[in-house]
Amino acid sequence: MRSKLYMLVLDRDSRVALMALIACALLLLGLIALAGESPLRVLAILIGDGFLTRAGLADALVRSIPLTLTGLGVALSFRAGVFNIGVDGQLLIGAALAMACAPLLGPLPSVLALPLLLLVGTLGGAIWGGIAGILKARFGANEIIATIMLNYIAIQMVSWLIRGPLQEPMGIFPRSEKLAASLRLPVLFDGTRLSAGLIVAALACVAVWFLVARSRYGYALTVTGKNADAARYGGIQPAVIAFSVLCLSGALAGLAGIVEVSGLHGRLQEGFAGGIGITAIAVALLARLSPLWVPVAAFGFAGLYVGSDAIARLTAVPFPLVHVIEGTIVLAFLVLQIMPKAKDL
Amino acid sequence: MDLMLLTGLLASGVRFAMPLLFAALGETMGQKSGVLNVGLEGIMLVGAFLAVAFSVATGSPWGGLLAATLGGAAMGLLHGFFAVRLKVDQIVSGLALILLGLGLSGFGYRLVFAGHQSIRVPGFERLDLGPLSDLPVLGPLLFSHHLLAYVGIFMAVGLWWILTRTGLGLTIRAVGENPKAADSVGIDVDKVRMRCSAFGGAMAGIGGAYLSTAQLAGFVEDMVAGRGFIAIACVVFARWNPLGVLAVALIFGIADAGQIRLQPFFPQIPYQFFIILPYVLALVALAGSAKSASLPAALAQPYRKA
Repeated sequence: MRSKLYMLVLDRDSRVALMALIACALLLLGLIALAGESPLRVLAILIGDGFLTRAGLADALVRSIPLTLTGLGVALSFRAGVFNIGVDGQLLIGAALAMACAPLLGPLPSVLALPLLLLVGTLGGAIWGGIAGILKARFGANEIIATIMLNYIAIQMVSWLIRGPLQEPMGIFPRSEKLAASLRLPVLFDGTRLSAGLIVAALACVAVWFLVARSRYGYALTVTGKNADAARYGGIQPAVIAFSVLCLSGALAGLAGIVEVSGLHGRLQEGFAGGIGITAIAVALLARLSPLWVPVAAFGFAGLYVGSDAIARLTAVPFPLVHVIEGTIVLAFLVLQIMPKAKDL
Repeated sequence: MDLMLLTGLLASGVRFAMPLLFAALGETMGQKSGVLNVGLEGIMLVGAFLAVAFSVATGSPWGGLLAATLGGAAMGLLHGFFAVRLKVDQIVSGLALILLGLGLSGFGYRLVFAGHQSIRVPGFERLDLGPLSDLPVLGPLLFSHHLLAYVGIFMAVGLWWILTRTGLGLTIRAVGENPKAADSVGIDVDKVRMRCSAFGGAMAGIGGAYLSTAQLAGFVEDMVAGRGFIAIACVVFARWNPLGVLAVALIFGIADAGQIRLQPFFPQIPYQFFIILPYVLALVALAGSAKSASLPAALAQPYRKA
């Protein structure tokens, strides 16, 4: 009864939007049926293996670390109306630069070496984001295309590095040497792969929240994103904001990259963090660009990925369904955005 | 470089340019009407997959092309529905298309082709114009491409003519430049934009189909590899002029064909440095052309009646 009333209150646009969402949900069900599986069973596996088993939960937490860090970066840039789609490239360059510097840091004591390693990774990401920032701020280039192009360039750079200067001394596999033990983030709980990267991600959340909610810069970001003309009138230079936020966003991605390497893989190898960038966008949007909601959304998407792995393993439903679900969630975010207008009526 | 090599380079450059050309021409029409679609990549992926699936199913590449066109148009309409009808953020809606395209094409591919690696895809045949195709230099350069390539070049000229010389073109440009004025003379702004968005989607679908059934023969996940974004860069660099889009797409096609052909000549340079050339070129093109007066004034701005 209550929901019926709510439907009556909605304006025409919102009703149409809701209809679109229902169509998307039906599409998902249709795809699962097309693969010859029962949607209920698929949903049970998704939730069961993604969130409810000990192993699944641990795995989801592991995956939520890079998603949180990159999601924070995307949220920052989107707040300023700057669309950083190049998280993957910034992540790779951050990890690569840190790995290139690792031999220099190895001899230092761990308390010093590990933070320095993370710092170099952060710097690498900031540089790669900064290139897009200069192209946008100085030349007015569209940052979406610029950051995507930089993604493909970064992928090739890493491909060259792990077959050239950074390849392991044996020279057989296209991958770097393993990081020294002093440069590895410690595992938090025995028997899991969950590293201290979780603490890094939590600290980053607090830092970004402070930046967004409590600092003058965060205010400038939000104003620029809402209305660039008003920002300019208020003495904020949108070009400076665009450049700095792409550096910051890239820095968080670079940090995510080196945290993945130092906390999980131990070395640089091809495709070690593929697809994080596009999911980070969905994470940031679902969190409504709010830094404190980013880890929640990141955990949700991480569980979705773990569950989708299980679905692909146990049923005939192929893994890419997860991207269709992500796309639907982004559309749902858009629909929710226009809903409040209905309440004003 | 001798003549044979140069001819070969230019001829394959034309082939490599076509997916970009189709997608960029569609995006030009969309952007001219004020609709920015950053999701071309996703639409091209769906087009590439549908073209392969339906070429195999119908036994003809034209069946595949039709499916890709319709699938692309459907995704263009979906974008139009969100961006034009619901008036939400066009960029975010485009991002959703990328995810949907990635998911739908990968899902479909694994479902249909899993385990059958060696399916022969009935691809487009090159046109054989007899003596014309046998001409030295001019033959391979001008008279031996896929029929679809000539369609692409014809469409570039046709769309230029429509945009600059016809009432329909004026309507589209008015909607993209000053929707309020267009509305005041009785043009249904949203309807024009919806149609342009659907057209743009259909063209991106054709671009994907060309990639998987004419340039290459088969579908690989994520095979579009950024071409959807390079196509948008083409539109900007060509200043929203379809003839310019043709020229820019050819430059990108030749650069892409060139980097592959240059690799064996410089074995001391890592091949990765050749692969990045088209992407670097796109960055340079963007930086060199972004601040343009040709940018449709109402691009990415939803129109609400007062």
